[in-house]
Amino acid sequence: MIRLRMPSRLEYRDLAIRTVASACKLVPDGGDDFHNGVISAFSEALNNVILHGYGPAVGEVEIEIEPRQDRLIIRLMDYGKTFDPRLAPLPDLDNLPESGLGVFIMRSFMDDISYAGGAPNMLSMTKLSHPNKRGP
Amino acid sequence: MKFSRVDQADETILQVEGVLDALTAPEIRPTIDALVSERRKSIVVDVSSLRLIDSSGVGVIVGLSKRCKAYGGMVRVSGLKNQPLAIFKLLRLDRVFCP
Repeated sequence: MIRLRMPSRLEYRDLAIRTVASACKLVPDGGDDFHNGVISAFSEALNNVILHGYGPAVGEVEIEIEPRQDRLIIRLMDYGKTFDPRLAPLPDLDNLPESGLGVFIMRSFMDDISYAGGAPNMLSMTKLSHPNKRGP
Repeated sequence: MKFSRVDQADETILQVEGVLDALTAPEIRPTIDALVSERRKSIVVDVSSLRLIDSSGVGVIVGLSKRCKAYGGMVRVSGLKNQPLAIFKLLRLDRVFCP
């Protein structure tokens, strides 16, 4: 398990993303598509916490990264506003939206997303290295 | 992020390197505004050296395209690969910007 605790500021985004990118390499068979999907989804999840969860206030974000044999599990914990990404509306891609894409990106690239609001809010995202071979 | 603008007759090449995201997108907005105010007809956004893009970065490019179309201009994206290509494919933007 890899743990990272950081201020909810965009300046720390790159550090967190590089950490997750390195963790992707610890999942056997996690190829380019796996890496690109995880990084894209995590990037949006972190944006949501920093920009919408905390807004101008600066709080703390805790990130747990759990590389397993067949999957990568990422948990983000924060004490900002509760926001369940599973309830966000899907964008109308035909109209070329300029915003409101983040949750769609998260949901599309990850195999499972769960959320529990509270103190802290906890978003858990899982990406399988081989989605067609779901294990227990 | 680094970016550079090169004008060649009616075409402008806007090369973007590094990361175009929620943190860096505001840096490029004045250049985007200038391209629109100058009514550049053909804009190529070269992302061959772009390592990462998020929805904020995508919003910058889509917004530029919409504003250009309003005066008859067009925007293309070249050099898509790796994570930026994955995002563009997911959002079906590769069909729009890389015809």
